[in-house]
Amino acid sequence: MTTTTHPGPVPATRRRFALVPTAALLLGAVYCLLPVAWILVASTKSGSELFSTFTFLPGSGFADNVADLSAYRDGVYWRWMANSALYAGVGALLSTAVSAVSGYALAVYRFRGRESIFNVLLAGVLMPPVILAVPQYLLMAKADLTDSYLSVMLPVILSPYGVYLARIYAAAAVPGDVIEAGRMDGGGEWRIFRTIALPMMLPGLVTVFLFQFVAIWNNFLLPYIMLGDDEKFPVTLGLFTLLQQGSTTPALYTLVITGALLAIVPLIALFLVIQRFWSLDLLSGAVKS
Amino acid sequence: MTRARRRRPYGVKSAPYVFLIPATVLFLLFFALPIGYAVHLSLRRTEVSGLGLGRGARKEVWAGLANYREALSDSELLHGALRILGYGAIVVPVMLGLALLFALLLDTERLRLRGFTRLAIFLPYAIPGVVAALMWGFLYLPDVSPFYFVLDKAGLPAPDLLDGGPLYAALANIAVWGGTGFNMIVIYTSLRAIPGEIFEAARLDGCSQLQIALRIKIPMVAPSLVLTFFFSIIATLQVFNEPTTLKPLTNSLSTTWSPLMKVYQDAFVNNDIYAAAAQAVIIAAVTLALSFGFLRAANSRTKQEGSR
Amino acid sequence: MKYRIVAACAAASLAATALLTGCGSSDDGGEGPAASGPVSLTYWAWAPGLDKVADLWNKGEGKKAGIKVTVKKQASGDDLVTKIITAAKAHKAPDLVQAEYQALPTLVSNDVLADISEEAGDVEGQFAEGVWQQATVGSAALYALPQDSGPLMFYYRKDLFEKYGLSVPTTWDEFAETARALKRKAPDKDLTTFSSNDSGLFAGLAQQAGAKWWTTVDDKWKVAIDDPATRKVASFWGGLVKEGAIDNQPMYTPAWNKALNTGKQIAWVSAVWAPGTLTTAAPDTAGKWAMAPLPQWTAGANVTGSWGGSSTAVTNDSQHKEAAAAFAKWLNTDPAALAALVKESGIYPAATAAQTGGALAKPPAYFANQPDFYTEAAKIAKGTAPAAWGPNVNVAYSSFKDNFAKAAKNRSDFAPALTAMQDATLADLKKQGFGVSE
Repeated sequence: MTTTTHPGPVPATRRRFALVPTAALLLGAVYCLLPVAWILVASTKSGSELFSTFTFLPGSGFADNVADLSAYRDGVYWRWMANSALYAGVGALLSTAVSAVSGYALAVYRFRGRESIFNVLLAGVLMPPVILAVPQYLLMAKADLTDSYLSVMLPVILSPYGVYLARIYAAAAVPGDVIEAGRMDGGGEWRIFRTIALPMMLPGLVTVFLFQFVAIWNNFLLPYIMLGDDEKFPVTLGLFTLLQQGSTTPALYTLVITGALLAIVPLIALFLVIQRFWSLDLLSGAVKS
Repeated sequence: MTRARRRRPYGVKSAPYVFLIPATVLFLLFFALPIGYAVHLSLRRTEVSGLGLGRGARKEVWAGLANYREALSDSELLHGALRILGYGAIVVPVMLGLALLFALLLDTERLRLRGFTRLAIFLPYAIPGVVAALMWGFLYLPDVSPFYFVLDKAGLPAPDLLDGGPLYAALANIAVWGGTGFNMIVIYTSLRAIPGEIFEAARLDGCSQLQIALRIKIPMVAPSLVLTFFFSIIATLQVFNEPTTLKPLTNSLSTTWSPLMKVYQDAFVNNDIYAAAAQAVIIAAVTLALSFGFLRAANSRTKQEGSR
Repeated sequence: MKYRIVAACAAASLAATALLTGCGSSDDGGEGPAASGPVSLTYWAWAPGLDKVADLWNKGEGKKAGIKVTVKKQASGDDLVTKIITAAKAHKAPDLVQAEYQALPTLVSNDVLADISEEAGDVEGQFAEGVWQQATVGSAALYALPQDSGPLMFYYRKDLFEKYGLSVPTTWDEFAETARALKRKAPDKDLTTFSSNDSGLFAGLAQQAGAKWWTTVDDKWKVAIDDPATRKVASFWGGLVKEGAIDNQPMYTPAWNKALNTGKQIAWVSAVWAPGTLTTAAPDTAGKWAMAPLPQWTAGANVTGSWGGSSTAVTNDSQHKEAAAAFAKWLNTDPAALAALVKESGIYPAATAAQTGGALAKPPAYFANQPDFYTEAAKIAKGTAPAAWGPNVNVAYSSFKDNFAKAAKNRSDFAPALTAMQDATLADLKKQGFGVSE
């Protein structure tokens, strides 16, 4: 079932590309990129240039900044990056799995308590994380899990936002008749989910994964309260310790800015990798334009 | 929908419940229990004997609804609520309007630079919050901001962004800048799920691109819009990051500018988790009323509009 | 639907209550059997380079005593105190913590810190009285060992003072005159700014004036933030802000850094650790600044306050209190340790002996033009007025930030702000159940 978008020859008077939408999006892109440009430019400045030169004037010290950042406490920054990758990668994977299975169940089946379960799940986000941090810590302490990798990963696996998203995408992407057909073919519910529904939900699940990955990557409060060992810190927390060195020691501004810039790079890479999934129509193998 | 089969395959009735087991267990452990404990804390307070400096001089005692009474009669909390309503009135329409607009634009045919603009608009969401205060400091403070520099050179008046009315715009700008991208992606993903035949049929009927967007695309992504709106309401009522980011830069923001900042102050600075818990429960109740009220209204409207 | 949510919450609350409070509070961490065999301690600290200092111990004294210390670097700030208290509630606190002086009463009143007067009380003579008294919290017990201190002094741009013909103020009246004189000669420059964001500085200035914000009368606390001494300080600065003689923007922002760097602000009332901050904030002006004693209220006096300063404390959760206390004592009194602290962590030691000579023989690089920097600093430090902290310093500090921000912004009287700060602090003490004497 391929989709075509040109039901006929293109009239000669039409432009070869859509000008207004492109221009509007470019404007939006520039608006969004300006502060990002600041981080880029600021990370090229050495300590003595940061507060003394014009804000958007590039400096000369990028290589030095990266070297200093790597040298800081024998490369603990890269340890932090690895930690972030672990928390975000594994966490987002598990979270997407839970969201997929839960969203699918809520979207496809009609069962007693469906809306109630959904609403209670959603109500989980009503209490702000600020107030849940201490109780979650005390709970983990009871299980003797504080200051461990698990203490940061387990609480983020269930994301009500992810479940809601997955439910919407499942409802939109998985038609009821396909499910029925699968049942008539004699498939068990789990098999139907795995082989029929999951591929159809993939573009939506990619969005859920992206969301969870970035959310966990940039999460601050949970690791802050759970972790005492700075070797387990994610990048956000690690950079924060560089900013908060006490009232008597100046903050390491250039290292923080350079560290923040480098921390964005994996997220950009992730985005570039997964964005092809938004263009894929896996049932037919064709690429939606 | 007629039940043509009298015999359902084994496991269908129990399947949804089984599928929901992981979510339920995780919810109980990491949401229900902590929420329960927070509610429990909100009904307690500390009691100190004497100077409070000896061992065991501090006790946790039952306080009943004292924390709630105090929170509800706290004018600072009320003012904070009014402030964030004003803030939300700017942020939510602008952010979601832009997100919808950009998503629709991204879905246009013959668009150039789609990948670049999509990534660029998403990027702000990926910026770690730890640099936010520095970044916005450099962009907003008159002495170092390039925008003031440009306005100055052009001879135009430059409002003090960190005071009064413009302060709300400054705060809203941070939220819009940071949140539009992700909401855009959410709506865009929904757009990608719409089968192409619908557009073909509409085009054969003679609809223009704009009509297709307004009459077909927007209604079909309504569930995504409802979701983004729902979570934007919650995010507004729980706003914390933006004012906390700007606080060290200006005299215009107090440490309790938004209700959640007050919760944070009490929980993490004043070491009074009990008052903080009571305030958080109140905020949660208000959020529940507003956000779920909205959800109910939105869903009943879509039900009225039939099918799907 | 709503009832189900309420019912679920109630059930969860009961379950959580049972689960989390069931165990209650066990007895104190306790000393295990007398330390035999190697002991491993954890130390939560934010001072940079502390792990290198701990290395000295692990390879030297610690090796002999079989005590190994691992430093876990944390982020400083108010939330760290809460993090420590939360960890202590769950009996997961580390053996040693770095604690700012003003946080000590809060930590003690939350049962976090252990009394180490037996193990380390004998070094009292090595510290100035005002500093030691902050570590005992005015009681017979010892809760921490002073590590570093931050006596206040006056920093100014020597070259710009010459350029504008300004004299270095020795009293606060002269300071006000200097500010006004600068405004007349260069209206777009400021002598300095009043920052509503830096409560510690205001507290130090109040100390210099003789204020004692928290005192104990019998078994009750007395809050005297609104006393004549502090009111004098508040009106002084409020007056200058109102006149427009000084700026009213917060410190430690990019704009403030730039102001220092470009000479838009030409002086800074700050503590002995200012060279580090100036190196980061105003690198272009290195060597152009000079340090002088803090302006006085009475001509000829030598009194100053403190801004910042931290201590090393042992927690109740520690299973090896003696070992931890031994390390804390070494860290803050041993000459080699103190030299390493100065070199690696860049702090100004609280131990009087280490404040001159040795690691502090040369001036900081930023003040290469002032060879006797640390000798002068030691003289100034001798006149440090005692500090008087209470169990809710953070509440007072937040109240300062909010009330003085409004006052500074509107360039209005600072007296009402001070009264509001007093009221808020007193009310909070009462709310927490402390006995207060009005």
